[in-house]
Amino acid sequence: MIIEVERLRKEFNGVVAVDGISFSVERGEIFGFLGPNGAGKTTTINILTTLLAPTSGTARIAGYDVVKQPEQVRRRIGLVPQEVVLEGDLTARENLIFHGMLYGLSRQQIESRISELLDIVELEDRAESKVRTFSGGMKRRLELVKVLLHEPEVVFLDEPTVGLDPQTRRRIWEYIRTLNTERGVTVFLTTHYMEEAEQLCDRVCIIDHGRILDIDQPDRLKHRLGEGEMVEIELAERCEEFVRSLGEAGYRIKSATGCRVTVVAERSERVLAEVFSLADRLGTGIVSISIRKPTLEDVFIHYTGRSIRDEAAGDTRIREIARRLKH
Amino acid sequence: MRFLRELYVVFWKEMLVWVNNPMLPVVRALVFPMMWIVIFGSAFGGEVNHIPVAVVSEDSGELSLAYLSMLSTGRTLELKYASPSEAEKLLKTRRVYGVLHIPADFTERLRSGEGVTVSLSTDESTPQIANAMAAHFAKVSRSFSAQLGLEDAVRVERDPIYGRGVKYLDYLAPGVVMMTILFSSIFSGGLNLILDREFGTLKMLMVSPISRDAIILGKIFAGVAQSIASGVVALVVAILMGVHLKSGAAGFALVILLMFISGFGFIGMSTAFATRITQLEQLMVVMQVLIMPMWFLSGGLYPLESMPDWMKPLAIVNPMTYATDAARAVMIRGIIWETLLLDLAVISAFAIAMFLVGSYSFKKTLGGIK
Ligand SMILES: Nc1ncnc2c1ncn2[C@@H]1O[C@H](COP(=O)(O)OP(=O)(O)OP(=O)(O)O)[C@@H](O)[C@H]1O
Ligand SMILES: [Mg+2]
Repeated sequence: MIIEVERLRKEFNGVVAVDGISFSVERGEIFGFLGPNGAGKTTTINILTTLLAPTSGTARIAGYDVVKQPEQVRRRIGLVPQEVVLEGDLTARENLIFHGMLYGLSRQQIESRISELLDIVELEDRAESKVRTFSGGMKRRLELVKVLLHEPEVVFLDEPTVGLDPQTRRRIWEYIRTLNTERGVTVFLTTHYMEEAEQLCDRVCIIDHGRILDIDQPDRLKHRLGEGEMVEIELAERCEEFVRSLGEAGYRIKSATGCRVTVVAERSERVLAEVFSLADRLGTGIVSISIRKPTLEDVFIHYTGRSIRDEAAGDTRIREIARRLKH
Repeated sequence: MRFLRELYVVFWKEMLVWVNNPMLPVVRALVFPMMWIVIFGSAFGGEVNHIPVAVVSEDSGELSLAYLSMLSTGRTLELKYASPSEAEKLLKTRRVYGVLHIPADFTERLRSGEGVTVSLSTDESTPQIANAMAAHFAKVSRSFSAQLGLEDAVRVERDPIYGRGVKYLDYLAPGVVMMTILFSSIFSGGLNLILDREFGTLKMLMVSPISRDAIILGKIFAGVAQSIASGVVALVVAILMGVHLKSGAAGFALVILLMFISGFGFIGMSTAFATRITQLEQLMVVMQVLIMPMWFLSGGLYPLESMPDWMKPLAIVNPMTYATDAARAVMIRGIIWETLLLDLAVISAFAIAMFLVGSYSFKKTLGGIK
């Protein structure tokens, strides 16, 4: 186990940011922390990277305690924080040189690694440009390879693709996979993007309010919801009765907000038929209906009763109110 | 050894960033002190031309005419001939800055190889003009004497009617140089730290295995080096503008040492403040309530003697007072250790204390794990 965390807890003046979490990460894994804003992801990373002392509990990286042997830990890790921490007034090359110097590498070692690294993230032609002139995606890419310069055993990526467009995000995923498979680097990343956790991570840890809700492979997490597909139905009226009737018919209702209801069904064709006949019987129309594979979002809702995307949830509520007002 | 290397790494990066940003260091190091010197210095200093001077001549001999024509060559003076009473009135009403009296026996005495004294009544309320005028008279008189084959045949007796003034630019320059150190320390120390924290660049150092002391010292040394660079620019600008540096290269070196010591103190001070400050606006407040008074109450602009009594204690507890006084002593009087001891003791004590406070509070804000 390259990361071992036991009953880790962090309080900020009485506010509990991390609430006694325990988990471990195996060498070579891509391990993801999935949670909404304020879940405690960054706080956990800060403790694991020796930036913050925990209130209680222990954490070890490659066998070294983050509090008692910080220097040993620092030698073995790389951190790409949530916000960009490059020196904008230095060129990409100078940023890398400085980074290498911080880790005691010689100029020759640094120079010999730089072009290869810049090549990985396709920034070779921008080596001599000031980082200030880079786009957000370019800065992210540079940071990603910067931490590889000193050949760490684990890299911590705090929301590595936040604020990037889908295309750039996919490219960054590619780089992360490359550094994991080709260089054998263990990756610990945090995200609040479902697809990111699903596509990239070997194992995902769902965290909310500083507590771990579940840890497993993405597929297995989804199986927690039961076998089958998600059927989302939006009704025009008589919603409560409809939901009740569905429940009585033996369907597993995953969520029901107002006139939107989600059920899990093994054979979705059968559900569709029943939904339509039920709606007929109640004399209500169906606004929309969709069938999809379960996502980690559904898993998150399963555990917390709310969507990870707070804004999206808020949006639904507002539409709900608007609809009620109209009727 | 390893510590020194680490210290160097931090120092190197700070300096590289400083040098790499083409705009800020120039603005901070050059424009700022220049502005002060230009505003406060040029208003009085620089080349002064067309100074109106009244001439009361009781001699119409050829040598007095020759002397007067020599005086009026060049652009420095504008001579006006006047009767004694007219001349006095011109001087009192500030339409001329000086009145030259040429005695009746001027030509006669020089002919017979004797020296002669001319008197120059001056208005020295504007010291730079008085100085430029006096310098011109001295120069002309010397070369006039030399042409006659005599030495110091014409002596100018300066008679400042309002008392003698100090050469203001000489007086001002040490204060401006030290002010540059004070102000750039605030930028290099405090501001830098706040920005570092804001942009997370400090984090980069914190997750790396280099020692925490190397981070602190590297940043402080880089800050001091940047301040000294600005101070040297200010000093050179002052010298180019004609400020006289008494003890030459040794004096220059000593002034740099003074910059180093006080720079340490100011960086320490601004770092201590910056660790308690999270927003730039707050730093501006500190600037206004602390830094500006430190500068104005340092004797840098006006002599402490001219301050009201209630203000004097503020100047006495102000470390800037001693830094400025020391720099001025070196630049004007030269290296006379007796005159410097108190100043040196005070600024060294200040520097050590502030360095300790600054690095301690910096270390505390680094927080977490040591
Ligand atoms: N330095 C601090 N002082 C006080 N409270 C803090 C501090 N850092 C974090 N917190 C609190 O701890 C909780 C967890 O914050 P954290 O930054 O770890 O969340 P996060 O999961 O990284 O969220 P995000 O997705 O927004 O980055 C939040 O409630 C936050 O307000
Ligand atoms: Mg975060």
